[in-house]
Formats: sequence, structure tokens, C-alpha cells
Amino acid sequence: MAKNLAVIIRETFYGSFLLFLLFVILESIWPNIILAYFNLNYLLLLTIIFGLASLIKPAPRRN
Amino acid sequence: MLKSIWEKWPFLFKLRFILGLILFIIIIVFLYLKVVPFGHIIYERDYTKSLRSGKGFILGFTPAERVDLKSAEVPRLIGDPIYFSVFTPRTFDKAKMTIVYRDNLALDTPIVEAGVLVDNILWRYDLKPVDNKALDYLMMKWNKIEEAGLILLQKEKNYNSLSDFNKDFEAGNLKDCASGLENCLAVYNYSPNYNYQISNYKTGQPIVLEKPLRGAHQFYVYLNNEPLRLEFILADLNQDLKAAPIEIKIYSGDKVVASESLADENLKPGSGEVEERKIVLNPTNLKPGVYKVEVKITDDMVIKKIVSSLSRLSFINKVWPVSNAGPLTLYTDSNYLQVKALNPASLQTINFAGLGFKVTEPYRQFDFKSDLLIKSKAIILKKDDVILENNGVFAWSPESLFNPSLPKVDRYFSVKTDAGYIVANYNKPLSEEGFKTATVDFDLKGAYREKGKYSFMISVPGLKSDDNIDDNLEIYQIKIELNGRTLWQKIWQ
Repeated sequence: MAKNLAVIIRETFYGSFLLFLLFVILESIWPNIILAYFNLNYLLLLTIIFGLASLIKPAPRRN
Repeated sequence: MLKSIWEKWPFLFKLRFILGLILFIIIIVFLYLKVVPFGHIIYERDYTKSLRSGKGFILGFTPAERVDLKSAEVPRLIGDPIYFSVFTPRTFDKAKMTIVYRDNLALDTPIVEAGVLVDNILWRYDLKPVDNKALDYLMMKWNKIEEAGLILLQKEKNYNSLSDFNKDFEAGNLKDCASGLENCLAVYNYSPNYNYQISNYKTGQPIVLEKPLRGAHQFYVYLNNEPLRLEFILADLNQDLKAAPIEIKIYSGDKVVASESLADENLKPGSGEVEERKIVLNPTNLKPGVYKVEVKITDDMVIKKIVSSLSRLSFINKVWPVSNAGPLTLYTDSNYLQVKALNPASLQTINFAGLGFKVTEPYRQFDFKSDLLIKSKAIILKKDDVILENNGVFAWSPESLFNPSLPKVDRYFSVKTDAGYIVANYNKPLSEEGFKTATVDFDLKGAYREKGKYSFMISVPGLKSDDNIDDNLEIYQIKIELNGRTLWQKIWQ
């Protein structure tokens, strides 16, 4: 269970980081289409939290 | 089948599949909101709620000195006009704006209007009525007929329908109206087909105007079996970096009958070197009547000279003389005058209709009112470079002054009017527990859009932030319903 939780944290970090990058790209192409609805700082904060959590509780490496 | 496939997948694969699906859905949702494929979307801003997830589509009010954001939970508009922009991810054809507000306005500010920017050079907004207390009052007191989206108000009931009224109006023969149509009928947000004629018109000396005027101007000319020739000498001051194109149009009603334009290559931006240009308009086969001439230039240009073939020429609503050549006398038909000096050297005491009015601060708008009941009132300026505005016309001689437009139910309209009829395109706002809700429709096809934003305005003529009167308009909610072409119409049409 603890192993799965670590994997979930790591994968959520990857996912939120990827989403953040996609949002930044979309925002650069069509300004304001994301920021009008959603403040990207919230997503960045979430990404940092999951990033830090995955450092504290690293998922086991696959052989 | 699906269940067995799902069970065969390892945990990491399942997790990545779910996260990928969420990511995909989120991106699709944002792309949908960008494209608005069905051509219909609503944006709203509730000013009672302080928490917002994003920047929103309806952006803040400007300029800051005309908005009080501190003394109440909602913004209070304390000056006129107020601007705000609306971001849209694509273009739309129509907008329906709903404003919920609380009216704490004084009696001398009976009108609230909203508009969308349609011309960024003339800085012209297509204004629509939100609230008109003079009309609200007269709708209760006078006889009211509603027909085809219009309201006909009669002091004495002479007509049973608007179509009967229109028949008589077009014939120039309204009941109980002996003093001319312009003295019997007032309008609001409505321009009837009105064939204005100057009675006992005699051809006079053609007007040659060598009084430089800065920026865009509009004027009326009147012709009666005479040729129309207009020659303009314009000067590009090159004090700013922008190009200074020129566009001059002659209108008969809403129809353009002649136009000329001159592009600017902008070879000397900001140099201060004056470049002169000349434009001549010489339309033929014009019917007798009134024509409106629109000179569309930036404030970095000056109309140095106008040579006309006609003797009647009146500037509409605004003049900005900049001759720097000492005293200047103009005439207006309106009872009030708004004056703004943009230069400290232009501060002075202005003589308007025989009374002295002081302009004591630059960049501040001063309102002067006269009770004199004469048709042309003199404005004597000791120095020019002041912007003069009102709801009437201006001319450089009383002989050339004429105003073909019907009186409007504006800020200075008195409910004790001599006019016996009012025709208005107006819907009274809904009022409930002190809150008013008004809905205004805009055509966005001709609206100006820059960087994905339409510019809107809320205007309360006469509302001033620096008059020490505690009057304001509290804005609680703005909702904008946008309609445009669907994605399929965009692709296939």
C-alpha cells in the first residue's frame, strides 16, 4: 500500500507538471484562455507539493 | 472483456492511463472554451464575491480615480465615464449585457448608458440606454403607446398608434404642432427619417474656415441646389509615433455618399516635423438637404483649413480650436457647455452667453449652463486649445449655425418640456428591493477588438468624482451573453 502511495505521488507529480507545461504552451499560443478561468499558480503549487512529497517518499525503482 | 483487459494491466499502467485521461479531458475542455463551437457563451462577474479562480473575462474598471473600491463591498462608480474590457477567446456578432446595480445618483444625473467601442480613432462608443429617469417619469405621467419596440409618449393623446403618428411626422404635419417638428418632438435612442429644411434659405457667402481644429471632427452642411465642394488642408504634427491616416466621409442619413482617404507611411514618427496634406471632395448629383461630414483623424493631426462651397456649416457636439492666435468667438445653440483645457496656458475665464465662467485647472472638465433663451449663444475664448463639447452644434458665425437633429431626452432635458411628443427606443430597468437590473443589446460586428478584448463603457453624464457630492452607482453584477457563428458556420460559410 505504502509502495502504491509513493507511485501515485510520483505519477501525480509527473501528470501535474505535464499539465502545467501544456497550460503554459496553450497560454503562450492563445493568451488568457487558461488564466481567464484558472490561476496557474494553484497548479504550480500543487506540482511543487507533489514533487517535494515524491522526494520525501520516493517510489521504489523498477529493476 | 474490458474488465479482463483492465485486470491484466499492471498498477502503474492503470494509474498512467487514468492520469492521461484526466489530462486529455482537461485540455479538451479548455480547447472547447477557446473555440466556443456552438457560438454561444456567457461570461459574468459578481462583484459581491471576492474569491475567483482566474482573472475572469470581465476586467476591472478604469480610470481608477473614477471608481471607489474601498467604501463598499462592490465597486462604486463616482465619475464619468468608466471603462472596462471584456476578453473573448474569439469574435462574436452580438452581446447582451445585463447589469445589476444600485442607483445612488443625484437628480442632475438622470441618465445611465452603456456602450461598446466601435471606433478607436474617433474614440466613439455605440451607446445604449440603461436608465433614463426623465423617460421613466414621463412614462407614468403622459400617454404611452408601445409599438414595434418603440415608445411614443404624448402630452395630450392625439394619436392611437405609432404608425398614425409616423404618417403625420413624415408629412411634417403633427397634430398640435405649429412651431416646427424640432420644437414638438424629442427623441431618445432613435433617429427617425427626418427631412430637415431651413425655411427661407438664401445662399450666402461660402465658408472658408482658417481656424485650426485638432483631432477628429464632424459637421453638418446644408445645400439647396448648390454644388458641394469641400477642400481640407490637414497637418500631421508628428508628435507621436503612430501613423496618422485620414478618412473623410460625407453621409446623407446613415448612407455614405462620398469618401476620401489618405494613408500615412509614417516616415517621420515623433520628429515634430509638420507634414501637410490636402483632400478635396466634390460629390455630384446631391439632393437638397443636410449632409454630415466626418473627418476621421488622430489627435496628432490638425485641420488647418476648410474651404467649402456652402454657407451653412455647423460642427456637431465638439470643437477643439488650436490656433494659438488670441481671442476667438464661436456660437452654439445649446444651453450648456463642457470645457476642458489640456494646456495650463489655456486656463481662463470663458464668456458663454454673456456670463463669465472660470476654467481653473487643466485636464478637468468644467460644465457651464446658461438660462438664456436665444438660439445662438456666443462663446468668447481669450485663448484657445480647449475642448468645447455639448449636445448641440458649434459655428464660427451665427448665420452658419443650424442644427438639423431633433432634441434628445438627455441629461439637460426638462420634464416640463414644450415638446408634446417623445419617441424612444428604451426599456425601463427592472427594479426590485432597491436593485435595478437593465439589459442592453450590442451589435459586435462593427465593434473594435484589440488583443482579444472588446472595450465597454458605462456612462453617467454629469457624474463627477471631484464635486464633493456623495452620489454613485454601485455595480453588483455584470453578465455578458455572447452570440456568434458556430464552428460549422465558420468552416462551411
